[in-house]
Amino acid sequence: MGTQTTHLPRIIAVLAMLGVASFPIYWMFVTSLTPSSELFATSPNMLPRFEQLGIYLEVFRTIPVATWLWNSFVVAAGTTVLSIALAILPAYALSRFRFAGIAILGFALFATQMLPEAMLVVPLYAIFGQLSLLNSLFGLILANTAFVVPVITWIIKGAIDSIPLEVEEAARVDGCSRIDIVLAIVIPLITPTLAAAAVIAFFHGWNEYVFAQTLISSEALRTASVGLASFVGELSTPIHSVMTVGVIYTLPAVVFYLFAQRYVVAGMTAGSVKG
Amino acid sequence: MSTRRSASARLEGHPLTPYLFAAPVAIYLILFQFYPLVQEFYLSFTATDLLRPSDSTFVGLDNYSFLIEVGDLHKVLGVTAIYTICCVVFAVGLGLLAALLLDAPFVGRGVARALVTVPWAAPSVAVALVFTWMFNAQYGIFNHGLRALSLPFGAENWLDSPNLALPAILLTTVWQIFPFSSVVILAALQGVPQELREAAAIDGADRFNIFKTAVWPTIQPTVFMLVLFVTIWSLRRFDLIWLMTQGGPIGATNTLVIELYRQGFVYRDLGSAAAIGMIGLTVALVITVIYFKVTQAAERAQGKR
Amino acid sequence: MSSIRFKNVSKSFGQKEVIRDIDIAVDDGEFLVLLGPSGCGKSTLLRMLAGLDTITGGEISIGDKRVDHLPPGQRDMAFVFQSYALYPHLSVRRNMTFPLLMQQFRWWYHLPFIGRWAKARIENAPDVTAKIEKTAKILALTEMLDRFPRTLSGGQRQRVALGRAMVRNPQVFLMDEPLSNLDAKLRTSMRAEITRLHKEIGGTFVYVTHDQVEAMTMGTRIALMRDGIIQQFGTAREIYTDPANTYVARFIGTPPMNLIEAKLDGTGVSIGDTRIGLPVAFPQSGYGEVLLGIRPNALALSRESATGSLPGVVAMVEHIGAESVIAVRLDGARTAHEADESMDAVMVTVPGYTEFAAGEKVFLMPDATQAVVFSATSGERLRP
Repeated sequence: MGTQTTHLPRIIAVLAMLGVASFPIYWMFVTSLTPSSELFATSPNMLPRFEQLGIYLEVFRTIPVATWLWNSFVVAAGTTVLSIALAILPAYALSRFRFAGIAILGFALFATQMLPEAMLVVPLYAIFGQLSLLNSLFGLILANTAFVVPVITWIIKGAIDSIPLEVEEAARVDGCSRIDIVLAIVIPLITPTLAAAAVIAFFHGWNEYVFAQTLISSEALRTASVGLASFVGELSTPIHSVMTVGVIYTLPAVVFYLFAQRYVVAGMTAGSVKG
Repeated sequence: MSTRRSASARLEGHPLTPYLFAAPVAIYLILFQFYPLVQEFYLSFTATDLLRPSDSTFVGLDNYSFLIEVGDLHKVLGVTAIYTICCVVFAVGLGLLAALLLDAPFVGRGVARALVTVPWAAPSVAVALVFTWMFNAQYGIFNHGLRALSLPFGAENWLDSPNLALPAILLTTVWQIFPFSSVVILAALQGVPQELREAAAIDGADRFNIFKTAVWPTIQPTVFMLVLFVTIWSLRRFDLIWLMTQGGPIGATNTLVIELYRQGFVYRDLGSAAAIGMIGLTVALVITVIYFKVTQAAERAQGKR
Repeated sequence: MSSIRFKNVSKSFGQKEVIRDIDIAVDDGEFLVLLGPSGCGKSTLLRMLAGLDTITGGEISIGDKRVDHLPPGQRDMAFVFQSYALYPHLSVRRNMTFPLLMQQFRWWYHLPFIGRWAKARIENAPDVTAKIEKTAKILALTEMLDRFPRTLSGGQRQRVALGRAMVRNPQVFLMDEPLSNLDAKLRTSMRAEITRLHKEIGGTFVYVTHDQVEAMTMGTRIALMRDGIIQQFGTAREIYTDPANTYVARFIGTPPMNLIEAKLDGTGVSIGDTRIGLPVAFPQSGYGEVLLGIRPNALALSRESATGSLPGVVAMVEHIGAESVIAVRLDGARTAHEADESMDAVMVTVPGYTEFAAGEKVFLMPDATQAVVFSATSGERLRP
């Protein structure tokens, strides 16, 4: 009960679960490193052939991967910066203020979780057309931010909730205005949560597909998600090249996430777990 | 919470400050979420072509009646219901099992907990890509495995089969989202007092009873909230399904969102697309209301039962 | 038969040994108290007895049956936790019925409908309800049977925890600091309740506490622990009058026993320039440095000197009401009290109000018949 248990059934179950969780990614990697001759063989190649690693460089020549990745990065970074900048003040307001509008704001943020991107993409397409924001990465950033701000706000609010009020009261007594308090006191205290929020926003921008597909038409501005999507299900491009692009696209997300996951988990569950 | 808010309010300040704080985000959301939503609402009562969006004809409830009477709305709703329910049951169920497995201490637990979240970190497009390949008729790894086990199946492309497509999509979806459930439930499990588990053990409870009596009551609110979120997200899920099956074959994986997108971008009928959107939104609202009513009733019953 | 036997029991967490070679026997029907400061290992020992922690070495037996390899549910013991550990979603009645239900549980009770029916049948069986009502009556819980734990006060929850332990009629009752979370007044009344319960229902009780008053008033025998080792195992009286080492001497009693540096020769001790004769002779002379142990109420204060009295100055006086505590700094002699005692003083208690005041020169007259001697190096008790 109080000591470590090393039951064999549990170990097997955990290993099985980890195997299931990591197999598809592993398979993507293995397929990327499988030579063409073996891709369509009767028995599948199960292990990565590291001598094929050259394909990772080759793929940059034949497919505009570099452009795609750059565009994805710009969109993701832009979404991160904009959404956090937008979310901090309302998060603070939801945590500290009490007035009629706040309840509505809170409910509205929750309600946006129910709206599918696929539904709003049509009117957004029209609105962006009128604002000349179509076919621009900036427009895409704006659209993504709208969908990730509610989650970010909720997470940051949770972190602000756990800051004792006395700290702010002391600053008040010292003559700080609210804005000063937010900038000088609150933000430094919630940096880990801000980092977690940044990770979530970044991934939302990196992974996003529907808007990137609909709002961007020029090839030069295509993001990696759309670029990769064009390969799904078709077999004319060599499968191992496609998988290579897949790995290149997925790897930053997974690696970065593995490093940051402790903070993300803590940030996300702090507010939502009831005691 | 409200005492701290009113205490904070006593920290005088400019009376407009709260509104100023809330304004930027409010304006942003109104512009990019609610105004489009209102537009969708109006669109649903019109006949509009995708390529000529400003040229709308008001048609009243025609879109809705068409969907219900002639269109396959009931089939779409059916697929959506099956998809959603299965997602919730499997994702939350597997997440619960995973969380319980990862809760007790063992060597390498930290690594295991980090690794199990990998599916959640992978982008949907990449997931769609690799799973489509895995479901391939001749070269997909699933069929290879089935043939290796000498089972009679393993000849067709899962995604092309009316019977296997939805299970395939479910497999993919559950694979992607069960880590999120396990992470949330694992966090809730940390809040279970160890002494409660020990008391049940001393009272002679077996493992299931310990779970039912000492663990479940503590994590139940979290699990219920998880169920709500997974339900709402299932109603929204687009990327995976569209990329892998576009809702086919023969509508086997045609959920509300997929049908919406197809109406709008394939048939170019923005009016019908908007109508489906409104129906989907109503479903989500109804589910949320039911959820809150049920949890309130359950909480009251727990106090009295 | 519910005697308990700890045979060379030890416990290590990794490299760290927390319990070292505990070897004691507890008789059937005893009230054993495990006493000691936080971290001494008393709770760990209790948990090992219950099966909540594993043993690294040695054996534990109840009656003549070895139990240390059995899981907690099979040792026929009940455990009362410091935090009560009541099942929050079950009523008081159901909390108390739970152990009885588990005793009769079959695997197929887990199935949805059949299980519910079977469990209801057990819960409503006449012998079960009778037992619950009887236990509730003993603990004055009858009105609260259908209430939920979160609506109860600390003392009431404590009684429910006791009730849940009692319904099983176990051989052994284990209690881990059950009164620590209660306020002082409630603690006193619950102490009496538990003692009364012990007399009424019999059974062997093992009780963990850091409070020496609880230990002295409730236990038939006390095991005083420190850093995983038992310092002394005996009745309250033995521990009080006949301490085995300086730690025991300083742990029990408020204020605790004084330890004064002295030199021992065959028939007495010398403290500074004063010689005090001892009623028993210590044949082996040449012990050299020792500590003379004398309780505060075994010292008489006087303004005049006499043979064998120790001179000193009053450092502080505290009037408690029923008695007064006077701290006296000795001339030419030192105490061996812990370094954190800000004053190196001998504590004396006298009944009622005292006229002595700080700064006065006084003479202490020890009652040599109540004095004990410890080695100054090891702290162990020296016996003649």
